Amino acid sequence: MNAFDLRARYGGFSLEAAASWDAPAAALFGASGSGKTTILEALAGLRPEVAGAVQLRGRRLDDRPARERRVGWVPQDASLFPHLTVRQNLEFAATARPGAPRGIDDATEALELGPLLDRRASALSGGERQRAALARALASRPDFLLLDEPLASIDRPLRVRVLPFLQAIPACLGIPFLLVSHDPLEVQALATHAIVLERGRVVASGSPRSLFPSAALFGSLDALQAENVFEVAVVDTHPGGLRVRTPAGLELEMAALAGFPAPRRVAVRAEEVLLATRPPEGLSAQNVLAGVLEALEPHEGQVLARVRSGGERWTARVTARAAERLGLAPGGPVYLVIKAHAILPAA
Amino acid sequence: MSAADLAGITLLTLRVGLVATLLILVPGVATGWVLARARFPGLSLVRATILLPMVLPPVAVGLFLLELLARSFPVGAALQRLLGEPVLLTWWAAVIASAVMSFPLLVLGAEQGFAAVPRRLEQVAATLGASRARIFLRVTLPLAARAILYGLVFAFARGLGEFGATTLVAGRIPGKTETLALAIYGRIEEFRDRDAALLSLISVLLAFSITALAETCLRGRRR
Repeated sequence: MNAFDLRARYGGFSLEAAASWDAPAAALFGASGSGKTTILEALAGLRPEVAGAVQLRGRRLDDRPARERRVGWVPQDASLFPHLTVRQNLEFAATARPGAPRGIDDATEALELGPLLDRRASALSGGERQRAALARALASRPDFLLLDEPLASIDRPLRVRVLPFLQAIPACLGIPFLLVSHDPLEVQALATHAIVLERGRVVASGSPRSLFPSAALFGSLDALQAENVFEVAVVDTHPGGLRVRTPAGLELEMAALAGFPAPRRVAVRAEEVLLATRPPEGLSAQNVLAGVLEALEPHEGQVLARVRSGGERWTARVTARAAERLGLAPGGPVYLVIKAHAILPAA
Repeated sequence: MSAADLAGITLLTLRVGLVATLLILVPGVATGWVLARARFPGLSLVRATILLPMVLPPVAVGLFLLELLARSFPVGAALQRLLGEPVLLTWWAAVIASAVMSFPLLVLGAEQGFAAVPRRLEQVAATLGASRARIFLRVTLPLAARAILYGLVFAFARGLGEFGATTLVAGRIPGKTETLALAIYGRIEEFRDRDAALLSLISVLLAFSITALAETCLRGRRR
């Protein structure tokens, strides 16, 4: 059981936020300035000006200093110790608490830090720093992880590899996490419970799937309907790829991620879905799905095409010009074209 | 002036400078940390007091020290019990004068060094479970080390050249309290300009070697 009930007032901003959750993978979601980072840091014990109660994994923490909370905090800027190498950063964490030091090998391998171990933290790129900071937090044997925008500075190709690692942390390492994010897709991909913040207040909480498609809470949430997230089960694996099936029976071909667990959900960005009005041939794309165009919605100068295919609803984002040239009309047949690499694993 | 005299004066100067620097090392770094990190009413007054020797005429500081170190004063009396002789007019008096005059330089260096260490790094270290001592020794101090070393070098150099306060509390006793600065002044008074020039040259060489050594060390530490 995790819960917080926090209050603070400073510089015209007032925080009055309470939430409780059990999910091992949870997210604080909100726009910048909504107070999510403040809450995360208060949970870590770093905000003395924030008053209130904090409980993580059933342990009451608000009366303990940061040092005794056993939370692994990964700030957005990573905050690696710049005078130490990556290895020394990890060793600092592994030996900071009395007790048997945890090996730093697991996290090093999974986060692909091997070649970076002897580099100074100040010589790393943004994404490398973020991964090293996560490994450092894990090396301190935390009971709970607090991740501030964990994927923000990691570029897309690597994100696809780091994402499954983050997803696997609660199940494989037994460490629940609470992450802060302003990216709905990131929340959907990583968390099974989301706490939605607006100007220092909790305005909603629940499963990201229940919150985001329906919620009219935020203007920004309109965009969320554009994203495609499906529960899946793996039906076949083969070198380099795997085949997954949605509950409605739709089968998708996706690229395999060596060494990572099979995904239970997958996500496809709306702009990664191509539309065709005739059956396309001779394509390298592994997924060509016949469907029916249900609706066309103008969105930020572009068009969102709602398509039903294989018992699932899809959203594709195309330019207004492309929609016009294709002569897209609701009720007509369309084909969805999705590359195997565009299907990302989600929590 | 014999080579032995020259060597004696130089060695005494170095000894006074080194001992004075060692004496202020821990209190200077600690004071710098307090000035950088502590927030309490009257902080600026404390800072102004600590920096006073830098802006006062050294002779005025010497006068103050003369009173403080006199046998009739508790500080002077305590030091006399410690050393077994009155502290005024000994090389210890020169050490104290050097230490007092160079203390603010070390404090300033350390303060700037500590102020430049991001609090966030110390916070991260705390969440990792590190004790305060470990955070200070493994994170804060190494990151402030460059600035502290600079402060230390300037303090040492300042101590070597100390004249105004030293001359009042240590006098100018050849072989006992006569450091380079005092010896140069003395030779000029006695119209021994060649000797004064020679001693000045040694001062220049000392200053050069200290600066060069510091630059080498600090460059090695540069990230």
